[in-house]
Amino acid sequence: MAHIPDGVLSAPVLMAGAAVSLAGCAYGLWRLEAERIPQAALFAAVLFVAALVHFPAGPSSVHLILSGLTGVLLGWAAFPAILVALLLQAVLFGFGGLVVLGVNVMSVALSAVLCRALFLAVARSGNHRQTVMAAGLAGGIGVVLTALLVSLALALSGQAFATAAKLVVLTHIPVAVIESIFSAAVIGLLLRVKPEFPGLTLVGGKRE
Amino acid sequence: MSGENVNKPGLLPVLFVVSLSVTAGLAEAHGLKALVTVEGTSLVGSAHLTPRRPLRHATVTVTGTDGNVLATTTTDDAGHFRIEAKRRVDHRIIVDGGDGHVATYTIRADELPDSLFLSPPTPLVQAGEGSLPALSAPGTDWRTFIDQSIARQIRPLREQIDAYQEKIWWHDVLGGIGYILGLGGLAFGLSRRRRRTDASPSTVTRRNDP
Repeated sequence: MAHIPDGVLSAPVLMAGAAVSLAGCAYGLWRLEAERIPQAALFAAVLFVAALVHFPAGPSSVHLILSGLTGVLLGWAAFPAILVALLLQAVLFGFGGLVVLGVNVMSVALSAVLCRALFLAVARSGNHRQTVMAAGLAGGIGVVLTALLVSLALALSGQAFATAAKLVVLTHIPVAVIESIFSAAVIGLLLRVKPEFPGLTLVGGKRE
Repeated sequence: MSGENVNKPGLLPVLFVVSLSVTAGLAEAHGLKALVTVEGTSLVGSAHLTPRRPLRHATVTVTGTDGNVLATTTTDDAGHFRIEAKRRVDHRIIVDGGDGHVATYTIRADELPDSLFLSPPTPLVQAGEGSLPALSAPGTDWRTFIDQSIARQIRPLREQIDAYQEKIWWHDVLGGIGYILGLGGLAFGLSRRRRRTDASPSTVTRRNDP
């Protein structure tokens, strides 16, 4: 659902989305250290594939978004990673339009960055268990935030906000649950196997 | 960042990609496809689950553009079905697998033979229900025959195209992953080169993650 097609949104919404995404990507690339580029690229590939797995849900179908997990692992680098993933989905599979790319990137990447902040706030002083729970929380909230941002973009363009928002948010509740569990499992595994994984070094009282 | 591990982004993302690809295959396996061709005045179709498994005893509903149900039937043991078209209108064929999988296929009015009546049907046709004058006009039976034989010959081609589209899907997935990794490698190489030139006058000072 993070794929709004062309011709739905109004021009001001499109421009605002493009501006936010452009700024986010610029900042993300500026903050991205060379050593973390391969990690960001690999995760962009994960995002690209994850959104191709569609599950039937009510009248339409939903797919994994992974905005929460992306945010937790990549931080601001989520912006360029998500831009690349969504661009390729639009070009190769026609998921979402090209003109609307800015808005689509914004609704996924902005929630990713917010989830990163939430994750750090909860997990900063916590032990292993609390960190894993924070990751689950971020994973679930990431989906909800993305759905809300998509609804907001639709609403600001004059679509029927109530029905659109309800439908988008309702169909994504199972996705939020799945991603919550998935994110918690991934972060739990990483913390146990590879606690020095870039992006996790700030939590659990290791640094700062 | 910490030591020797930063240059190895780790096997985990690779594992994610692999596991997601596997689940993608499963989700694709549950895809339902319907293929319908016109043979004379009949709509001949087949329904299958994506890796070439026929969908048996599924409900097939045919509606017009206005949503009126024109005919219903079920698929046979090979997943095939045949429905007689009575009017020359757009036919929307809906195959319902019964477990949430629905495939639709549309036959446009101009794919149907001229011998059929245009919509709406004249009251005369509805009055004489049993005797449909589909082939009553003289000189149309050879045209129907040609339509039928062409449809029969085109049918395997359409099925091939269908299978080919599925193959292209997988190529696009792999191609997309390749693009992303290539882009990442390019960015990594460029940033490495920039850092080497930056680093020559003084010691390397990297921005710290705040």
